[in-house]
Amino acid sequence: MNDRRILIAAAAALLMTLPAVCQKPAIPRTPDGHPDLQGIWTSASVVPLERPASVTGKEFYTPQEAADNAKRVLGITSWERLGGQAPEHYNMSQYGLDLSQVKVASTLRTSLIIGPEGRVPPYTPEAQKRNAARNAANRGHQFDGPENRPLQERCLIYSSEGPPMLPSAYNSNLQIVQDAGHVAILQEMIHSARIVPTDGSPHLSPRIRQWMGDSRGRWDGDTLVVDTTNFTDKTAFRNSTADLHLVERFTRVDADTIIYEFTAEDPATWARPWTAQIPLVRIEGPLFEFACHEGNLGIANTLSGARAAEKKAAEEATKK
Amino acid sequence: MVSRLFAAALLTAMAAAQTPYKAPRTADGKPDLNGIWQALNTANWDIQGHAAAPGAMPQLGAIGAIPAGLGVVVGDEIPYLPEAATKQKQNLANRWTADPEIKCYLPGVPRATYMPFPFQIVQSAKTILFSYEYASAMRTINIDSKKEAPIDSWMGWSNGHWEGETLVVDVTGLNDQTWFDRAGNFHSDALHVIERYTPRSPDTMSYEATIEDPKVFSRPWKMSMILYRHLEPNARLLEFKCVEFVEELMYGPLRKKTGK
Repeated sequence: MNDRRILIAAAAALLMTLPAVCQKPAIPRTPDGHPDLQGIWTSASVVPLERPASVTGKEFYTPQEAADNAKRVLGITSWERLGGQAPEHYNMSQYGLDLSQVKVASTLRTSLIIGPEGRVPPYTPEAQKRNAARNAANRGHQFDGPENRPLQERCLIYSSEGPPMLPSAYNSNLQIVQDAGHVAILQEMIHSARIVPTDGSPHLSPRIRQWMGDSRGRWDGDTLVVDTTNFTDKTAFRNSTADLHLVERFTRVDADTIIYEFTAEDPATWARPWTAQIPLVRIEGPLFEFACHEGNLGIANTLSGARAAEKKAAEEATKK
Repeated sequence: MVSRLFAAALLTAMAAAQTPYKAPRTADGKPDLNGIWQALNTANWDIQGHAAAPGAMPQLGAIGAIPAGLGVVVGDEIPYLPEAATKQKQNLANRWTADPEIKCYLPGVPRATYMPFPFQIVQSAKTILFSYEYASAMRTINIDSKKEAPIDSWMGWSNGHWEGETLVVDVTGLNDQTWFDRAGNFHSDALHVIERYTPRSPDTMSYEATIEDPKVFSRPWKMSMILYRHLEPNARLLEFKCVEFVEELMYGPLRKKTGK
């Protein structure tokens, strides 16, 4: 055996032991050996959910393109993004909530949705019909009562709160707390704690429908897999039905990063399931209390404004 | 000899009976409080002792009536300052419109503990989550943290530490918008609550809350009650997102009138 062959044999022996080492990267772990996902995280992103038309067919940027994109997106203040119509309240720069003022993950992806198309699949004919009926029913009635207003305006559930969780225009903050049999996912906006049991217990009875569904988890190696069903059709994530089935995957890849991935499936809404991947970056925190409903002057003001406008229109009509 | 053995056994048994309960431990050696808990009392109606009484809506009959309760205030007296005592009487008179619970507002501490809903504790070494079914209320307890409340809030700022078998939680930064119960017992934004959670058997905990608020009370006073573990094999917090249920009450008069 010459030196070269000894070297190869040694390398082979090393390689055989490597996979075992690679499966257990040096990440924090809980006392029971599972990855420790705990901490405060942000899902803030410089790439949109759906791939922009300008990069059709291109799943990844080059590092230079990604840097240019990040620079461009971080350069836009909320005030510029929302335009002059935005009330002062939504000028996020003054609160330090603009993307350039918070931590954002770097990524080479051109969209959060993975795959060649990078877009939510087209609606099925059934879903198109359903959406059209819903839009027709609400047309001209957007300001009739609280039920006609968006869920987040009513402080029921935030559009990015999920599951699935998406980056928000601001405050994309969440916290994870673990005990031996549960992973709790706390969202700052509108405030919720989704406690996911990892004990193999079955979903709730289908009679019990919830805004945030019913989540059950299991560990697949070092990945937390969360399965969610039992939604209500009032949640309607991107116009889905109560039969929406979600599978989320949380993988802590290093001290500062969790790769969060979700696959959404609802045959009554989309022709095929679709998957998005969102890096979560560790931040200092704390998570603040988001007492949305308690401070909600918006709904009352919106409705009374609409009533005042109707009254004025009626008065002007009688004058004529 | 036999009698001496018997006496020794008796002494051991007596010692065991007097030894405080020692709870199972988490991996870091602290009492394990994980689980779904609930108070079984009527303190949310009135933290003081009270007889049964009719409810606000006669058409609801027995369903709407107020159940009696022994009360959870130690000594059954709340040491209101004179002006505060008057304010509490006004609150009581307006209870069916003024209680923040009517509007699905966050309950504050300690009221969240004895609302007629379960809550879940998710305990890790540095952070303990208290998640309440009512209104998706939640708070995290920062263990051994010296951080002060950054701002007042409905659920306050909770720093905790362990004293033997007891989790002691120091709650500050509470706003003045919550009540203690449906009977108008109240506090100011100077409220400081010290909570003590002590396991007393595998499925029960004793809960004590010391209330300090020099703007409202002449001295600190204490609530004391037992918390019970939910033992159903499928026990789970469900949703009570009550905003939906109060929209008619809060915004109904602002609806567009139909049929015109």
